[in-house]
Amino acid sequence: MASKITALISRPFPLFASAAVLRIGMLLYGLWQDANSPVKYTDIDYLVFTDAARFTFSSSSSASPYERETYRYTPLLAWLLYPTTLPSAFCFSLGKVLFAAADLLAGYLIIQVLQRHTHMPLDRACRFASIWLLNPMVATISTRGSSEGLLGVLVTALLWAVMERRVVVAGALLGLSVHFKIYPFIYAPAVIWWMDDEHMARGGKIKREVSKTTPLGYIVAFATWDRIQLTLISLATFMGLNITMYGLYGMPFVTHTYLHHVTRIDHRHNFSPYNVLLYLTSSSSPLSTSALPPSSNQYAVQHWTSKMESVAFLPQLLLSTVLIPFVGAKKDLPTTMLAQTFAFVAFNKVCTSQYFLWYMVFLPLYLPNSSLLRKPVLGVTALTLWVSTQGLWLQQGYNLEFLGLSTFVPGLWLSSLAFFAVNCFILGLIIDDLGTP
Amino acid sequence: MRHRITFFHRNEHGIEPSSLEIRDRSISGPDLVAVREHRVTLALEELPAELQELLHEIHELHIRWGTPQAHDSLGPWNSRLPPGLHAFYTPQTASAADSTRLCAQLRAAFGDLDCSSPSESFTKLPTDRFSHSTAFQYFQPLDTLTNLAIYAEQNAVSLDLSYDTISHAVKITTRWPEQHQELLIDSHPDHRTEVGILTPDSPPHLEPHELGVTGLLTVLGDDTKPSPVLFSFPSRHKDAGSTFSAAYLSPLGLHPTLQLRINFREPPLQDSSCSLHAYLTLPRTIFADKYQLGDELFLSSKNLTALRYISQPVDLEAPDYAMKLWGSSVLLELRPPNIQEDSPWTAEIPLHLRYLSPAEGGYSSINVPWPAVFWACNTEEGTKFVSSPFDRANLGYDGLFGPRTLFWHVTPELEGRGDFNHQIRVPVLDLKKTQWVSTGTAAVVLVGFAYIIFKLASVYWRTGHGSQKLATKSEKKKQ
Repeated sequence: MASKITALISRPFPLFASAAVLRIGMLLYGLWQDANSPVKYTDIDYLVFTDAARFTFSSSSSASPYERETYRYTPLLAWLLYPTTLPSAFCFSLGKVLFAAADLLAGYLIIQVLQRHTHMPLDRACRFASIWLLNPMVATISTRGSSEGLLGVLVTALLWAVMERRVVVAGALLGLSVHFKIYPFIYAPAVIWWMDDEHMARGGKIKREVSKTTPLGYIVAFATWDRIQLTLISLATFMGLNITMYGLYGMPFVTHTYLHHVTRIDHRHNFSPYNVLLYLTSSSSPLSTSALPPSSNQYAVQHWTSKMESVAFLPQLLLSTVLIPFVGAKKDLPTTMLAQTFAFVAFNKVCTSQYFLWYMVFLPLYLPNSSLLRKPVLGVTALTLWVSTQGLWLQQGYNLEFLGLSTFVPGLWLSSLAFFAVNCFILGLIIDDLGTP
Repeated sequence: MRHRITFFHRNEHGIEPSSLEIRDRSISGPDLVAVREHRVTLALEELPAELQELLHEIHELHIRWGTPQAHDSLGPWNSRLPPGLHAFYTPQTASAADSTRLCAQLRAAFGDLDCSSPSESFTKLPTDRFSHSTAFQYFQPLDTLTNLAIYAEQNAVSLDLSYDTISHAVKITTRWPEQHQELLIDSHPDHRTEVGILTPDSPPHLEPHELGVTGLLTVLGDDTKPSPVLFSFPSRHKDAGSTFSAAYLSPLGLHPTLQLRINFREPPLQDSSCSLHAYLTLPRTIFADKYQLGDELFLSSKNLTALRYISQPVDLEAPDYAMKLWGSSVLLELRPPNIQEDSPWTAEIPLHLRYLSPAEGGYSSINVPWPAVFWACNTEEGTKFVSSPFDRANLGYDGLFGPRTLFWHVTPELEGRGDFNHQIRVPVLDLKKTQWVSTGTAAVVLVGFAYIIFKLASVYWRTGHGSQKLATKSEKKKQ
């Protein structure tokens, strides 16, 4: 039986067929559940996207996706979902079909990268890609209608284009994905750092000889045409899209797609280690109309925690955009991108389970040479810790959300810190692997 | 100033007209069991100067207060509201909505209200729906009228105040529940005071939407004996003769469900279209999600038909402490069973709590009024609701229906002790336990960060920042 499964996922056709069947099955099941149960399979976000698409293509003069409350995405997403505005349940599900197809395409690109750039045989590449393609969590998220799958394909395509030395395509993809969801900007330093003469040497090309003895020389040597090209094209794509969207939808586009992420309070419970702290500081900030009498003690707390909150981005950005790319990018770009994403999510001020998808897409590229597979005990320990600290948090969250118990401190707070500690442990392992040839 | 005092009693509680004694400007008689209403109408110039000044900003203002205590309704006063203080307001000019003066006066009259200015604290009402509603709405739970002892004396069940620029007068109406009322009224010589003692009756040609009354009217100072009257007038609010109770399903969690249990009777009017509604005024600590209430299957599983109205905007994410708007009002159509059943029937309204400010002990209590539940029935084409002497308009929900709608109110009934407010215990961050949150979070994040830096440094130490291939190649060369 096990060998049959191994055989099944070792060849591309059966692998993709079973990934597709899995998703079609979940999609159909979702349609059934939505039609027959008051508890919906479809994610609330999907209703936000499709409502936004309907608003965008409505005949009213103020047609804009931002007419829909809580739509915080690029209008491109609403455009992509145009088919869902057509009248029929089948058309309404086309967005989920798109997200599921994006999953499959990401899987295909993963196999391409594994085969062409780590010289892995096809059967082994397929088996690793199945971690993404047959992952029930990934399939559930996309068939429930969450758009994270699109990010998965954009980011893997970026990696693929870079590894293929297709600089123009890579620049366009980088600009597009940052426009889509901001966070992929962390990949820009890694990609640029990676694009040195050694990595970019296309067969038969002679290395440029530039003196690196002076600082100016370093800069000239660093500023290769490839790097300049990538920077300019990604900036042009990003700004071009932003200007277009601003022209079409005006200030609401900027407010909801970008500024919202700056001004949001993020007070609702989530996995982030900062969560309880943010609840505490947001409620005692002068903006809030708190009914509490301002005690001197409270202000003392507010004084230095609000400072801490405003520097929380420093460890996050230092790790994900400077230190990890600097140490790792030239050694192993996919693993570096995994580590960057992992650091970005673990140190973020808000963290929900959808964010885990951002790094899961890199797992098939990282695992083949990882200590997690080489030393199964370590791997199983890491996975167990990752799942159990999440479970701990979820139990506290359940007690709060459904039983109405005040579990913020110590329950939620300590379990989010434990989960953070486990994340740091795993990130440490990934970084160790960067240094092991 | 004009003063109208009305006693409304059941037929069996009538008193002998001869037992009334009218002398100069006073009337007295035996105690009677009745509902009592006082209506005072004041011309602008009779008001204090500061109030006159405030009224210049106002195009229309209606204040409605209702008690959270149980009381029966009788006569023309069947209308029900969620208990608390309601304000409906249209400013004279758009800029007047930014003025803090109205809120300051409301605070002076009603006590500590969470109101800064209409544009910040009030919700905007739809102007396109029906023309007869005001521009803004405000609500706050308020159990007693301690600051208004002059008007409301003891145990009044409702207080209405209305002003509009067309009538140029302020009308203040106070009602007391059915109880033993002392009948002894003196009037001031400058004021016109009219006293009515009325009871239901059916004059000939009474229309179904009308109320017939009979009784005695006396204008103090003018009349030497009470004049008997028999008349009828259209009455928009009627008693449906059934009861409901409201309770939150436990455990409440952060997403409490309000369950309405209705001792069901068939629709009050068989031959016209009637639909059962619940009107909720939700303080901003609790809200309904209009998107959740948009799904047909979900609604019918809760015995709801449709969300007919929800005030906008309702922020689905913001915590209570970052908001200034009072809250939201919601009109839901309920789905009564097709066949009359003996067992009580329930409908469930899913609601959501906001995060509240941290508090000592880890829990905060919020006050949420019971909704008003009523049948709304369309009357025939051509039915006219000419203004009635006892009409109560501008109640929030009446502006959401057409002008020919009759409201048959379902009486709220307590299942135990208490009043028509729900106290909900909301879990919050316990302020007693927060002293370690800042330090602890900072320490853990810093240790985690330092650990990652250490890992990165050790990789850098071993292999530098270059590629693995390069490193192995140069090592080979050295060998």
